[in-house]
Amino acid sequence: MIIYLYDGSFEGLLTAIYEAYYRSEKPEQIMAQQSYQPDLFSQPRVIATDSDKAGKVYDAIERKISHEALEHVFYVYLSELPGVGTLIYRYLQFGWRVGADINGHLSLEPVREVLRISQKVGVERHRMLGLLRFKKIQGELYYAPFEPDYNIVGLMAPHFARRLADQNWIIHDLKRGVAAFYNQERWLIRELAGTGQLNWEENEAFYQELWQNYFQRIAVEGRTNRKVQRQFMPARYWHHLIEKPTQ
Amino acid sequence: MDLAEKLNILSAAAKYDVSCSSSGSNRKNKPGGVGNASASGICHSWSQDGRCISLLKILQTNFCVYDCAYCVNRASNDLPRAAFTPEEVADLTINFYRRNYIEGLFLSSAVWPNPNQTMEALLRTVKLLRTQYRFNGYLHVKAIPGADWRLIAETGTLVDRMSVNIELPTSESLQLLAPQKKRENILQPMKLIGSQIVESQEERKQSRKAPAFVPAGQSTQLIVGATADTDLRILQLSESLYRRVHLKRVYYSAYVPVSTNPKLPTLASPPLNREHRLYQADWLLRFYGFEAKELLNEASPNFHLQLDPKSDWALRNLHLFPLEVNKVDYRFLLRVPGIGVKSAQRILTARRFHSLDFEDLQKLGVVMKRARYFLTCKGKYFGQIPYREETIKEKLLAKPTKVENYTQLALFSDVEDQQPVQDALTSITGEL
Ligand code: SF4
Repeated sequence: MIIYLYDGSFEGLLTAIYEAYYRSEKPEQIMAQQSYQPDLFSQPRVIATDSDKAGKVYDAIERKISHEALEHVFYVYLSELPGVGTLIYRYLQFGWRVGADINGHLSLEPVREVLRISQKVGVERHRMLGLLRFKKIQGELYYAPFEPDYNIVGLMAPHFARRLADQNWIIHDLKRGVAAFYNQERWLIRELAGTGQLNWEENEAFYQELWQNYFQRIAVEGRTNRKVQRQFMPARYWHHLIEKPTQ
Repeated sequence: MDLAEKLNILSAAAKYDVSCSSSGSNRKNKPGGVGNASASGICHSWSQDGRCISLLKILQTNFCVYDCAYCVNRASNDLPRAAFTPEEVADLTINFYRRNYIEGLFLSSAVWPNPNQTMEALLRTVKLLRTQYRFNGYLHVKAIPGADWRLIAETGTLVDRMSVNIELPTSESLQLLAPQKKRENILQPMKLIGSQIVESQEERKQSRKAPAFVPAGQSTQLIVGATADTDLRILQLSESLYRRVHLKRVYYSAYVPVSTNPKLPTLASPPLNREHRLYQADWLLRFYGFEAKELLNEASPNFHLQLDPKSDWALRNLHLFPLEVNKVDYRFLLRVPGIGVKSAQRILTARRFHSLDFEDLQKLGVVMKRARYFLTCKGKYFGQIPYREETIKEKLLAKPTKVENYTQLALFSDVEDQQPVQDALTSITGEL
């Protein structure tokens, strides 16, 4: 079984898709090198990332299929779920044939799967746009740690760059050790393992406490519904909230 | 009194207002400013009662000269009172906003010492936020009935949404429970705001530079279960507010007993189930092409509590069904119980490529538990029971589904804001 291995980057994945199209030796799977486990039957082929080739695939998806399809592919890639390299490959194989209509073919497994995963990533992004919490550090800097299921920090940064345009901020994905940094002009993504000791701004605790009290008071007694609360705000996200929902 | 205590008092006093929507506006940030609005709305938390928290919801003051029987803030009620200064409200809003606790501010007020001065205080606060603090996030402000139109109109040029609460569905009910309020005083600013919105939309079509007026539209709220008014009366009122005053949303709030006044009913708990049915029916009015008179009539003026309004309607109109899912047009597809706007659109897309059978429908998000009795796929009926009102009704009534449990509360009220682009939550978001 031929397996193409890429370096884990989106460019790497697109390069692998390029090679799969042009090489005669077609892969049965495409996966990130990190997640590859050697076994007796597989024949790995390491694909070297090439930004020209990746760029061609990128353009081709947009031109020959649709911008929407490109977005879905990127979202599915960001899910980092096992098997997404191969899934994207299958989805695109089909896409080259049918073009812009692709997402109407809901009876096809790869199409449904791509839409389903892309949607999950989109849902988490939307959810985190609301649930992210900044804390003010001394020196006019706001810091927001979070631990998303998917690799969405890059999908969140543009929103906050528009919204909190006049403040400096860091959005830190603790799980993956990456962060988006913004300096009131532009944002970029860099690795950031830990932060060390942070010194909070003097009135940070004051506003946190106001918010916690507000959160407790705003619920109407007699209408308590924890189930719905958890449904929309799963408990795994509570850790980084300022407010404290009770179990 | 310190800020923390004021916030405690003035948020507790505001919580019965159910609207917390932050959608419908796409106000942009400006250079050097903070904030913007997200057209689809964003929830920042969910409170213990399962409602979306999107806006900081507070009263400017809870001192009140009126004595509405159903309201905690009524003059005769003995409770702690407070008033914010405009600076305090602005400071709270900005500091919460910069930490991403909220989408913006929903500012309301009790009436103190008269409508004009109340409206002036609200106007001062939003002006301060927009100009001095350069805040471009979402603002929803109450218009106070009886206040000078010029004050309301100026406020409208600064905020995203305005609302006037209609409170009770009929003049008689108002007379009974809020005798100081006149229905005309409530309806008049609603109509003026409504026509001003339409006017400004027209002007903005001509010129992008024309000032926006309440771009996220107008909403209102009414209390359900504090009076004897039927669902039919309520729904007809909503219908005319949507069609004639162009309201964006009507919110329904199950009456939470806050008083032992003999004019009020004694309820063990708020009539949440009834509230839920009204939200479902409201949805049918706005997105499914139904009219109030199709759903209810004088002979049966209230909703079935165990059956959603669409299923109820379908059962009374079995002669229109079953429909062939591969042929039926969109308008009728929407009328099938178990098919929502999203799944109807998916059906249209999918059947362009191949004709659908029973299994496909499930994958498209159709709630088969309900839809199966009203559809055929490629000519075949999957109901598996005699096609009669009683037999189908019995099946539909067979204990509430999981989906029903989730939707029970006022959740519905803000459901359009929960997951606007994605529809992971479709099955629980008003897809009937
Ligand atoms: S005017 Fe408003 S705040 Fe005052 S008692 Fe009536 S409903 Fe309550």
